[in-house]
Amino acid sequence: MTADTNKFVIPIGPQHPALKEPANFEFWVDGEIVTGASVRLGYVHRGIEKGAEVRTWTQNLYLMERICGICSHVHATAYTLGVEKLAGVEVPPRANAIRQLMAELERIHSHMLWLGVAAHEGGFDTLFMYSWRDRETVMDLLEKISGNKVHYSANLLGGVKFDITPELATEVHKGLDFLEERNRFYLKVVTTDETFIGRTRDIGTMTTEKAEFLGAIGPTARASGVARDIRVDAPYLTYEQFPVKVMTHTSGDLHGRFIVRIHETFESIRVIREILDHMPQGDLTTRVPRRIPAGEAVSRVEAPRGELLYFIASNGSEKPERVKVRTPSLCNWSTVLSLAIGLKLADMPMLLSGIDPCFSCNDRSISLKRGQQGAQVWSWEKLRQYGIEYYR
Amino acid sequence: MSVGPMISDLLRSLFKQPATELYPFVKTPAPIRLRGKLMWDPTNCTGCQLCVKDCPANAIELIVIDKANKRFIMNYHADHCIYCAQCVVSCRFNCLRLSNEDWELAAAQKQPFVMYYGKEEDIALFMEQAAKAGAEQA
Amino acid sequence: MNLPLPSIFVLLIFPGGLFLIASGLIYQWADRKLVARFQNRIGPRFIQPLADTLKLLAKEEITPVGVHKGLFFALPVIALAAALTAGLYVPLFGFQPAASFRGDLIIALYALSVLTLAMGLAGANTTSRFSLVGATRTLTQLFSYEAPFLLSLLGPAIAAGTWQISEIHTYAHQNLWLMIAQPIGFVVAMIGLMGKLELPPFDAPEAETEIVAGAMTEYSGRGFALFRLGKDVELVIGLTLVSAFYLGGLANPLEFMLKTLALLLVLALLQTAFARLRIDQTVGLWWRAGALLAVVQLIAIVLGRNLGSIF
Repeated sequence: MTADTNKFVIPIGPQHPALKEPANFEFWVDGEIVTGASVRLGYVHRGIEKGAEVRTWTQNLYLMERICGICSHVHATAYTLGVEKLAGVEVPPRANAIRQLMAELERIHSHMLWLGVAAHEGGFDTLFMYSWRDRETVMDLLEKISGNKVHYSANLLGGVKFDITPELATEVHKGLDFLEERNRFYLKVVTTDETFIGRTRDIGTMTTEKAEFLGAIGPTARASGVARDIRVDAPYLTYEQFPVKVMTHTSGDLHGRFIVRIHETFESIRVIREILDHMPQGDLTTRVPRRIPAGEAVSRVEAPRGELLYFIASNGSEKPERVKVRTPSLCNWSTVLSLAIGLKLADMPMLLSGIDPCFSCNDRSISLKRGQQGAQVWSWEKLRQYGIEYYR
Repeated sequence: MSVGPMISDLLRSLFKQPATELYPFVKTPAPIRLRGKLMWDPTNCTGCQLCVKDCPANAIELIVIDKANKRFIMNYHADHCIYCAQCVVSCRFNCLRLSNEDWELAAAQKQPFVMYYGKEEDIALFMEQAAKAGAEQA
Repeated sequence: MNLPLPSIFVLLIFPGGLFLIASGLIYQWADRKLVARFQNRIGPRFIQPLADTLKLLAKEEITPVGVHKGLFFALPVIALAAALTAGLYVPLFGFQPAASFRGDLIIALYALSVLTLAMGLAGANTTSRFSLVGATRTLTQLFSYEAPFLLSLLGPAIAAGTWQISEIHTYAHQNLWLMIAQPIGFVVAMIGLMGKLELPPFDAPEAETEIVAGAMTEYSGRGFALFRLGKDVELVIGLTLVSAFYLGGLANPLEFMLKTLALLLVLALLQTAFARLRIDQTVGLWWRAGALLAVVQLIAIVLGRNLGSIF
């Protein structure tokens, strides 16, 4: 993107009321029309992958959980699935069902949070307040089940920590009824409010081919008709016993992304009800050794934002050799940059929030090999020093 | 195509109580499974230190007074703890639990966050030894 | 009601000046509280706007690099002064306007526009990108709602046959409420008031999530406090004008409070019910729907007067 010096650059970030986390977007504008866009990430890099190498397998479970606050459970689930694959253990079905239940509850929570934030970016503060008030219901449910509203820590290597009792199941059913009614109302608001439609229809339209070309994943791609969902393509946990339907939409614009996410919320509610009614009996955990056998494993799960990929390599000791995390938001940035051109400046915050960005998830550091340099391995101290020097 | 579908909800809210909980004047009871402060019962502890090994945040330290007679003191750092309950699961003798009543742990200094658990006489002995060691160093 | 007070007293203390500023703070509180209740929240306590103003006055004022210093300091003062001046000509708090002459409707509206113009210039003065975009939007919005709003206030003027606010006020007081006689004009006036005050959904000039604070981004401390006071005073005066013309005049302070607060209730409801309109959508809406409705209303009034004189 060449910068024409006659044009104007509007920086959104690193500090900006539109962003919930720091990132630097630069939009070249001509009046109100955007003519170019570029992005700089990396402000929230914490060195988690390096930190994983100095902690034991059990301790890493909680480190991986804290990569993101909204999708913490799926990060932990992806990690345990990879480790269990390496160790060659079979987790009891009841544990997997409870993991799936927590994951779907988290999906509802994430989509309602996103609805509020995206409405706030569009100036619709009322929808923001109301959807976040109703989100408290799902957070209360998660607190009753797990003991914490964020970072549920439900997973153990080899199972789950707690069980769903019949009283809890009744409470969850009651909460789900309330959530379903409120989400139907929000679907009505999103699809019929004239001012809101004026802000979202035909904004950032992406055809199916373009979505596949740019590599978009998650609800962003599903709104353009790309029917890709890891829960259906490569089922994990108990998704074969309790399947979900892939929700797609054909319009491919911002409006479609709203509709896809609210429909996914309904699907999650339906699956949770099914799991509660047909919960498999059995143990909650199985034994996993302290030293995981050497090998490599890849685990993929469907986070609320798209496909989450973990690559775990073990050298047979108590600490992992390498844990590599590829989060879904990383794939969707290119869609923002290419769709921004031609739109108005006022649409930029909504376009950004339309892909449901999670900046803390996706900051990783990659060091490129230049010329004849061999591969370098950095120690924790060296990485830390580099980060400090970089921003001086 | 309608204009203002939220208006009926808005008007109803005018006559309802606000959804805000006026904490700290109104405190709703915490759910049973809430993961609050760590509590340790030294009765069954064998000193295996699995909780220490598994803690992701290095929040627990087990001080051995007398290993043969199973006298231990636990030094718990509430400010390091991430309240994940891994230690509760790791302990095979059910010595640990996370309280659901004690969770308002904010303090203005570091001192209230360093807690010692154990039997009264053990802690007294430990404090004497620490004071003596401090006096010798000074 | 008539208050025979010396004009300097009116300008500085009551019912203009300090009293008007105080009532601006009270109306800001009422607006924020109503919006909060509509959104099922608690809202600020009564003393909050005063606390905000005092805090801002106590803060350090940072002058950005590259601004014209004189303009930077003068514009907030001009804005507040213009808003307070407009208060002389409207029936504030149910009393007769302190100063009144033929054509003062135009002067009062012009003074309120000077406020918006000062804000736009303040944004154009600084070199910050956000302020420049905000200034552009402020001035664009000024050009778009000004015509329909003025036309909607012209309706009662034509009905009363005069351009003097006090005489229109007397006419509105003595005849059927113009809200019923000129309903289209009332709707345009109310929505025009929202555009003038930059209330959501017409708050594109200070869209928090897009351009931080629009034209006022670089202001802090005293300058920002004066701009906010100017906007609060504009709120009171705008409400007074619209309720004086369309809601049957303001005979005494009690009627003033009831009518303006009722109008504020409706405005708060409309504020919370919609998403923010983009600036091009705002301009499109005003120049198509707004101007059309205002013209329709004017034609209806002119026809009504002429046909009425026939019968």
